[in-house]
Amino acid sequence: MTRRARVLVAAWLLLLGACGLWLYRNLTLTTDLSAFLPPSATPAQRILLGQLRDGAASRLVLIGLEGGSEDTLARASSEIAHRLVASGLFAYVSNGAAGANRRDQAVLFEHRYLLSPAVGPERFSVRGLEAALAETYRLLGTSAGVLVRATLPADPTGEMAQVLRQLVPEGVPDTRRGVWFSRDGGRALLVAQSRAPAFDADAQRRVVRTIEQAYAATRPAAGRLLLAGPGVFAANIRATVDSDVWRLSLLGAALVLAILYAAYRSAAILAVSFIPVATGLVVGVTAVGLGFDELQGITLGFGVTLLGEAVDYPTYLLMQARPGEALGEALARIAPTLRLAVLTTVLGALAMALSSFAGLAQLGVFTVAGVAAAGLATRWLVPAVLSVRPGSLAAGKGLAWLDRLAGAARRARWPAAALVLGALALVAWRHDRLWDDDLSSLTPVSASDKQLDRELRAQLGAPSLRYLLVARGASREAALQASESMAAWLGGAVRRGWLSGFDVPSTYLPSERTQEARRAALPERSVLAARLGSALRDSPFRAGAFAPFLDDVARARSGPLLDMRDLGGTAIAFKVDSLLVRNEDGWNALAMLHAVSAPAELAKKASAQGDEFIDLKAESNALVGTYKNQALRYIALGLACITALLAFALGSLRRAARVVAPTLAAVAIDVGLLLLLGKKLSLFNLVALLLVVGVGLNYALFFARRHVDDEDKRRAQRSVVVCAGTTLSAFGCLALSRIPVLHEIGVTVALGAVLSLLCAAAFAARPE
Amino acid sequence: MTTGTRILAEGAAAVLAAGLLSVAVAAPRLDASRLMQTLAGVRSASASFVETRYSPLLKSPLVSHGTLSYRRPDRLEKIVVSPHQERIALHGDRLTIDSPPAGRREISLDAGTSGIATLIEAVRATRAGDLARLERDFDVVVSGTLDDWQLRLKPRAADVGQYVSAVGVWGSGPRLQRVEVWEASGDRTVMEIDEATD
Repeated sequence: MTRRARVLVAAWLLLLGACGLWLYRNLTLTTDLSAFLPPSATPAQRILLGQLRDGAASRLVLIGLEGGSEDTLARASSEIAHRLVASGLFAYVSNGAAGANRRDQAVLFEHRYLLSPAVGPERFSVRGLEAALAETYRLLGTSAGVLVRATLPADPTGEMAQVLRQLVPEGVPDTRRGVWFSRDGGRALLVAQSRAPAFDADAQRRVVRTIEQAYAATRPAAGRLLLAGPGVFAANIRATVDSDVWRLSLLGAALVLAILYAAYRSAAILAVSFIPVATGLVVGVTAVGLGFDELQGITLGFGVTLLGEAVDYPTYLLMQARPGEALGEALARIAPTLRLAVLTTVLGALAMALSSFAGLAQLGVFTVAGVAAAGLATRWLVPAVLSVRPGSLAAGKGLAWLDRLAGAARRARWPAAALVLGALALVAWRHDRLWDDDLSSLTPVSASDKQLDRELRAQLGAPSLRYLLVARGASREAALQASESMAAWLGGAVRRGWLSGFDVPSTYLPSERTQEARRAALPERSVLAARLGSALRDSPFRAGAFAPFLDDVARARSGPLLDMRDLGGTAIAFKVDSLLVRNEDGWNALAMLHAVSAPAELAKKASAQGDEFIDLKAESNALVGTYKNQALRYIALGLACITALLAFALGSLRRAARVVAPTLAAVAIDVGLLLLLGKKLSLFNLVALLLVVGVGLNYALFFARRHVDDEDKRRAQRSVVVCAGTTLSAFGCLALSRIPVLHEIGVTVALGAVLSLLCAAAFAARPE
Repeated sequence: MTTGTRILAEGAAAVLAAGLLSVAVAAPRLDASRLMQTLAGVRSASASFVETRYSPLLKSPLVSHGTLSYRRPDRLEKIVVSPHQERIALHGDRLTIDSPPAGRREISLDAGTSGIATLIEAVRATRAGDLARLERDFDVVVSGTLDDWQLRLKPRAADVGQYVSAVGVWGSGPRLQRVEVWEASGDRTVMEIDEATD
């Protein structure tokens, strides 16, 4: 190694070390969807993300137990509930057992006069008391008499029943042996709410493991544990993703290594050829870390995909050196082309880096920094550290077919052109059905899991994840008041059959205004006693039986209003917390909706009432659509810049066209083939196509490069073939994945690599 | 909720229960399985009933009447016709309560629902002669003779015991004659049954 080389290597190590240290100290990786949030996000979209990230519904775990007698299942249900509570991982666990919510019931009973919607001035007039007592007497004669009787002396007007009536939604599960069961009795049901958000796959895996262990501890004979909910699916997907990524990357890496080893016949060269991409990765992540508060998981995923191009850079250099030629000399020949290869990608990504869309800007910065660093490492570092002289591939006579292939492709350029026209026609014909912005079509959650989720959700009467109503207020009190007026019209909607029920925060914690009105409606003790006396005169109840009632009303009348402190530690507090959320737009009262059957009517009524109806699916699809459209715009801008750069560097627009045209042709055919395979394009295909453009431009550049002789030309072609081979191997393996996203990216890039090679050979090569 | 009345009532119920228990112990033992066999022989039964609630809170007992019908193995229906209409049907594991005008929603307490279900189940399981079922929900004591028997049922589950202290069923041969429920509140309901079996 020369002195200069040693300085270079030292500087490089220092840079990597500094980046590594900085990343170790400062990097925070987030995996939520806020990367998709455009700067012009509506309040609804911000609530959507908050809900997806941390919402009550998104943290629900639905649990079913099957196989075993009713008795066994009920016992297992209680034991599991007990263990889950003890684990501390859950904010809320319920299997329907009364004992579990006895404290909730006690809190509700204590505050029944502030919570009951029936409380008003009329309720405690002589006539109101007479009516309430008559109703209570009627109930005493029914099968519910035993329950009514238990609280009769303290609650003769039945306020507790009024409170409970609005709490329990229609369609709660059956109770058998004291715990929830499905209607057919074959499945015990539990519901839990994890403290960890749904997207935290690691935490969710702990949640799932804890439930499985709790189940195993009940020593089930032949039973089955069923789990569903967003967090559970996140955990399951994570497991599949991990195993798939690990397996397929290993396979891909093995194939890439095999190809490169066949090309170089030297382990040292092989090792050195990975320096640029590794450098690019570290520098790219650091650049994003420096420029933004946190790194989005999606940036990392897409960025690594786009950085795939950097694996090719050393290949171009190492493959095009003549046998025995020092890399420095070879560089003199190919450096201008290599520089263009790097610059085109940097320029393309630069447009994206200027986007105001955080997710896109991050991806742009990552690519610009990563690719530039990889390019510089190839230009300076690789020749510095590699004293071995490459070029052994030149001896490989077995590769002559590669050269013939290039020739054949060149002759096939008219059929290829026809293919491009065909693909363009197909794209034009399908232009309105080209894109699919529905992320759920790419979800790796299996159809059977989705079915199970629907089933358990219906059996448990859990709210739907899709629809949400929001009433806003500047303060907590204002939001609660808004929640009350929302509940009023929702009650009408339930009677019309638009939905089966709803959950709003003001049911559990009425606004102060409402509570004050109810408290003010409670008469003074002596007044109430006198009225009760009159009401009892002609009633079947004995006078003097209701002293506890007089005491409780007096206490409520002089007592404080109900606030969150009173609810502390109950499931009710948790409900209020998750339904009353604060964000940058103020306070939001959310209504969870059960079994929505008429979303359009609800939406219309909501907007008339000044509330907001959110279709989470439509909103998230709109977000993805916006992201995609923005990306398309920046890609178009990037392509224009690239063409301008090429025209400037190559000296003419015609020469630039010879490089750009084959790339676009490859993209067109790629898209055409994807459509023929029955696919629609998603955001993920788009990013994959971006990589196709990146590598395709390089292929075309090296095919179109001015070659000094035939040998030089052959080397250039072979280097491109090797690059296409490695890309095909790596992404072809990804195409085998069970994860739809990985599969899509894999198929698109693998096809794209082959097509780019063929199109470059057909259109970019200089005429003989 | 824990009022003086309540404690008093519970005390009274406990005394009552203890009294009954001593009666049961003193009586010559009737073989439970033999009684159950006799009861299980009934294919269907129908009856009119008069149910009376005795409560310290009421000026006079609350009386309701209606009909009961049973069909082997697991169908029991109780229809109250006066003073208010109500229909309670237990078929298999489904308990349906139609209580106009409000329907089921009025008793939508989880614990409550199971409490009511347990009371209905007590009558059905006795009618069906299903001792295993009875013993799942209650501590069962059988006393008397086959012609004049008594079942004393004490709820096992705490959430039922919170409302019901004990249930007594009287009968003669395959016929049910009387069901008494001692509530934890201190109230007592007595259902007199005039049954025809088949």
